[in-house]
Amino acid sequence: MSAVIDITGVEKTYNRRIKALRGVDLQVGKGEIFGLLGPNGAGKSTLVKIVTTVIHASKCKGTVLGKKIGDKAALQNIGYLPEHHRFPPYLTGRQVLEYYGAMSGIGRKDRKAKASELLELVGMESWHKDKLGSYSKGMRQRVGLAQALMNDPQLVILDEPTDGVDPSGRRDIRNILTQLKDEGRTIFLNSHLLSELEMVCDRVAIMVHGLVSTQGTIEELTADQSGFEIATNAPIDQTLRSQISTLPQIPTILDGKDPARMTFQTNNAASVQPAIDALRKQNIIIESAGFKRPSLEDLFMQVVDTNHGDKPGAISGAKGSKGAKS
Amino acid sequence: MIITQTKAIFIDAYRELNAKKLFWLTLGLNLLVVALYASLGINEKGVTLLHWNFESRFFTTALVSKELFYTLQFTTWGVPIWLTWATAILALISTAGIIPEMVSGGAIEPVLSKPIGRSRLFLTKYMTGLLFVALQVLVFTVGCMLVMGIRGGAWNFNLLLAIPIVLAFFSYLYAFCAFVGLITKSTIAALLLTILFWLAIWIVNTGDQMLIMQREGSIIQVEDRQLDIEKQIEFADKRIEQLREQDKPVPGDEGNPLPDGYEDIQEAVNPALRMSRSRLVEAKESQATWTAWAARVITLKTILPKTQDTVRLLERHLITDEDMAKLMGFDAQSQPQNTSENDPAFADPRAAERSAEIMRKRSITWVLGTSFAYEFLLLGLCCVIFVRRDF
Repeated sequence: MSAVIDITGVEKTYNRRIKALRGVDLQVGKGEIFGLLGPNGAGKSTLVKIVTTVIHASKCKGTVLGKKIGDKAALQNIGYLPEHHRFPPYLTGRQVLEYYGAMSGIGRKDRKAKASELLELVGMESWHKDKLGSYSKGMRQRVGLAQALMNDPQLVILDEPTDGVDPSGRRDIRNILTQLKDEGRTIFLNSHLLSELEMVCDRVAIMVHGLVSTQGTIEELTADQSGFEIATNAPIDQTLRSQISTLPQIPTILDGKDPARMTFQTNNAASVQPAIDALRKQNIIIESAGFKRPSLEDLFMQVVDTNHGDKPGAISGAKGSKGAKS
Repeated sequence: MIITQTKAIFIDAYRELNAKKLFWLTLGLNLLVVALYASLGINEKGVTLLHWNFESRFFTTALVSKELFYTLQFTTWGVPIWLTWATAILALISTAGIIPEMVSGGAIEPVLSKPIGRSRLFLTKYMTGLLFVALQVLVFTVGCMLVMGIRGGAWNFNLLLAIPIVLAFFSYLYAFCAFVGLITKSTIAALLLTILFWLAIWIVNTGDQMLIMQREGSIIQVEDRQLDIEKQIEFADKRIEQLREQDKPVPGDEGNPLPDGYEDIQEAVNPALRMSRSRLVEAKESQATWTAWAARVITLKTILPKTQDTVRLLERHLITDEDMAKLMGFDAQSQPQNTSENDPAFADPRAAERSAEIMRKRSITWVLGTSFAYEFLLLGLCCVIFVRRDF
């Protein structure tokens, strides 16, 4: 995988005391949709702003699009939609696109053609003559997304792109992201909407308190927690669980909080049949049985809970970021 | 790419100005003032305003040409009052928000992520602030030039010098405004602090003018008193000669000692000389004091932008020394001529004349050089702050 973003040891300290980033290592591959998750204050936006040169890192090694961060040639190939953006309200939708296109160095003729194409892509062609001041939040977000694509970027960085967008608009944005991916572009998403990230992201990283706690594909990250799950109508007592665990060739039983469920670390349904038999023998009704993978939300909550109390700037010994689980 | 980006920033600035009603209001006011300028005239009896005639002793076509009359209107109130006060205040109100709005959260991020250097971005934005004034001054100046050509019969293209001069004047203030806007991110703070700064410059400038007038007045006073002393000595010598010719006793001669408190024979025979000498000492002390203060203020002024001196460059260029001498002559004639010994030094019309001459002869290099040095340093500081700041 050739890395579009390959940065290590990124640190950012504000006012010499607040450590927003404490040595972030991050790799984003070419042509993938990469999601950056994390609770508020984790340092996600700081990291995005460092990559887009809006803020300066205290320490940083690595490259973006094969160039040093801040390199003009690299910036020319980056499209960025910031969170809480405020585009000039006196400009029309088309003028916004043309202005930011020109700021990326695109010539007049190409700008006009690209603006028309993108306005159509984000469904704003009928509003292109109206001033941004009259747009709803969702409409501004659509224009913002189009603005980020004006320079035909190789790397598209979107900070909360679906913020304020209605469900149908979110679906449109997801489709656009998929289309961009198909065109070979790399998309870096920063969002709180885990369900949406889960639908589109190839890989994710979870940041907690200024560190990347974990990164990889969702399958990789949830592999330990995936398995065959049996749900029953009544709690399964500890004695029965112990008996089942001692059955011959039965897979490892994963820890679970719900007493009416049992999860086995396996991808082979045949291997859990003795457990089903044992449960049925005790007249326990099986409500469902099948393979189950934890959701991104489950994974997120698990990572955040694990790092609970690890407050930014409060830790003297910085914890190293983990590489991809594979 | 540089040209594309610069053009985009300027077009955006124009659109921003266009969206502000104040831009069009100011433009309308400028045209109204040009109309007022056009309604003024001069004839053999005096000054005219539309169909009204105002008789004047000096402002008649016999003494002042139409061209000089319109040039005078342009340089005495058109530029210094209208353009550099009224328009400048409206321009500051309109443009004070450009930098704070640019650096505000949500607006700066998409721009900084583009392939444009921060210093260039800041300086180009700063230049767009000057665009407001450039357009207003252009309209006003071209309007006045047309009026002068049509009504005055003289096509003076030198009037166009008002554009760079007023732009330079405004750029001094706008550099400060941009600096405050960058630091505070507040339009109100940028506007109010710039007006306070402008007021401070005005106070220094006014102080400079007054101190120069005082200094020149005190120099004239010293010169007058020295002349007076010479006359008193001459008078005393004649008196001594007369006394000796008449074989009358001369104080200070043998057997006729000087009266107490007198230092020489001349003072003894002419007591007024003693008073004149003591007044000369006072005048010299006063001159030393005013000279020292004038020097202090000029030092302070050197590091500040010279707004009034810059605007005065236009008058220097448009009104010849000959015309100025003629006007100063009119001015002197209109002043009360009898100044007494008890009048303050600056009340002497010669002091006003000399100080005006000093102001007029100030080096252009000093006026513009030191002002641009201030602006260059301030903008340099802004660039350093803008380049290093996290948004």
